[in-house]
Amino acid sequence: MITFLRNAFEANIDNDALVWQNQVYKYNDLLTALDYWSSHLENAKVGPNQVVALEADFSPNALALMLALIDRRCVIVPLSSTVASQKNEFCRIAEVEQIISVNADDEVNIIVTNQSVINPLNQKLKELKHPGLILFSSGSTGKSKAALHDFVPLLEKFKIPRKTLRTLAFLLFDHIGGINTLFYTLANGGCAVTLKERSPEAVCKAIQDHKVELLPTSPTFINLLLLSEVWKNFDLSSLKLVTYGTEVMPPATLQRFHNLFPNIKLQQTYGLSEIGILSSKSRSPDSLWVKIGGSGITYRIVDGILHIKTPSAMLGYLNAQSPFTEDGWFDTGDQVEVDGEYIKILGRKSEIINVGGEKVWPVEIENVLLTMSGVEDVAVTGRANPITGQMVQARVKLSTDESLSDFRKRMRQYCKDKMPAYKIPQQVILENEGFHGGRFKKIRRQI
Amino acid sequence: MLGDREKIMATELYNKLIELIIVQAEELNEGLKIQIDVAAGENAALFGEGGVLKSIELVNLIVAVEQAVEDEFNVFLTLADEKAMSQKKSPFRTIGALAAYIEKRMQEES
Repeated sequence: MITFLRNAFEANIDNDALVWQNQVYKYNDLLTALDYWSSHLENAKVGPNQVVALEADFSPNALALMLALIDRRCVIVPLSSTVASQKNEFCRIAEVEQIISVNADDEVNIIVTNQSVINPLNQKLKELKHPGLILFSSGSTGKSKAALHDFVPLLEKFKIPRKTLRTLAFLLFDHIGGINTLFYTLANGGCAVTLKERSPEAVCKAIQDHKVELLPTSPTFINLLLLSEVWKNFDLSSLKLVTYGTEVMPPATLQRFHNLFPNIKLQQTYGLSEIGILSSKSRSPDSLWVKIGGSGITYRIVDGILHIKTPSAMLGYLNAQSPFTEDGWFDTGDQVEVDGEYIKILGRKSEIINVGGEKVWPVEIENVLLTMSGVEDVAVTGRANPITGQMVQARVKLSTDESLSDFRKRMRQYCKDKMPAYKIPQQVILENEGFHGGRFKKIRRQI
Repeated sequence: MLGDREKIMATELYNKLIELIIVQAEELNEGLKIQIDVAAGENAALFGEGGVLKSIELVNLIVAVEQAVEDEFNVFLTLADEKAMSQKKSPFRTIGALAAYIEKRMQEES
């Protein structure tokens, strides 16, 4: 199952595979750990063909366990610390049979649950004797959905050799982007630099200390990094490429980053828990227009909504209706604009605010407000209002102690020639905290 | 006797609310081409017959007034709701009508 990975490891035996807690692990170390866990899992009767939760962050044992579990054709449910409070719920939905926990010191603990596997999709993978992967969508709106993937097609694209960069494992272990980073790096003999925490300071320090070349992250984190200004204290000259996905990039943030770091290439990625990460190419570093594709991937646009067909799509949700059309198209729910072969993601259709019949995209309002002085973060949502159906509500974090009334006046003045009146937030709430969660993705709904 | 006292209290509240709405109307006026005639006090027309506000501007005013009521009286009211829409006479006709409606709602809440 993972022969191509073993071959890659053997070809790179003396190369750095992982930097964990400032210690370097070579591919040789990873192979040793893989052999150890392969035999240990057999002795401990973990698998074959079981649903196994892997509660971990990127660490030597976590990586080796992930690979050993694939080899034992298990369905893996990666869980990171950001979902600790939902662990029991997720394990129940995924029908987890064994839980492997890897703690912060890389110590491993295995627990058997008494759950049985009855979901037809889970059973189908068992019958196929294929390894699987269950990812929970972070659900910026609504409840988390469990996407079940067949690991075999998912691994297929990593068999094509590509050049690799020293990469920061910023995206989490249980995120499609994090999984993608991991396999891309390992399959190409690259090095993944792990983080103990994901603050701007820790990220800058890791880039400097371990000569990181690639930072895969989110627009929210880029914004946070720029605002913190901690980058001024570090040498980031090794950084060549920053990729961002998971949410819509505010043009102001993109432009500012580009002005400050003209030599760092910015690249937009497009991926979803349900379909994996697609290959993408930005029209230019400061452009939001992007060309998406990849081997066997086709897309179409129906009523402005992006539909994708890909061989690496999930089998389905364990706890929700199939989102695929009868002929296999996945409705992404993302509204897009098209210009020739380029598309621009406008945002989630479900997040559109309808003010008296006029459509408002949260992102376009956030983008304007973010360019106001003193505005550190902003989250725009719709709020029910019987006069206009919905109205625009902005929750704003200021870096000053400006009063609500003063800010509101200034905002209306500022927005007046930038947007029609119905788009200017009718309600403003000042907040003390920013709006991102542990995944550095904007959370618009109020908790 | 008690009835009279209640009425005096209510009048004080009503006057306070008129002032509060005028402050918010003045803030809104800064961005308006056709402004609310705040000099007319409680008789200043807002929305509907003789009114100057478009629906979205009315929403702006109402939300700002809700916020001010919360700050001033520590009462959280949603003024633009089904209740308001089902009143025989719109509570958004004039500043006075709005003040009277808020007063009524505050008394219901307490």
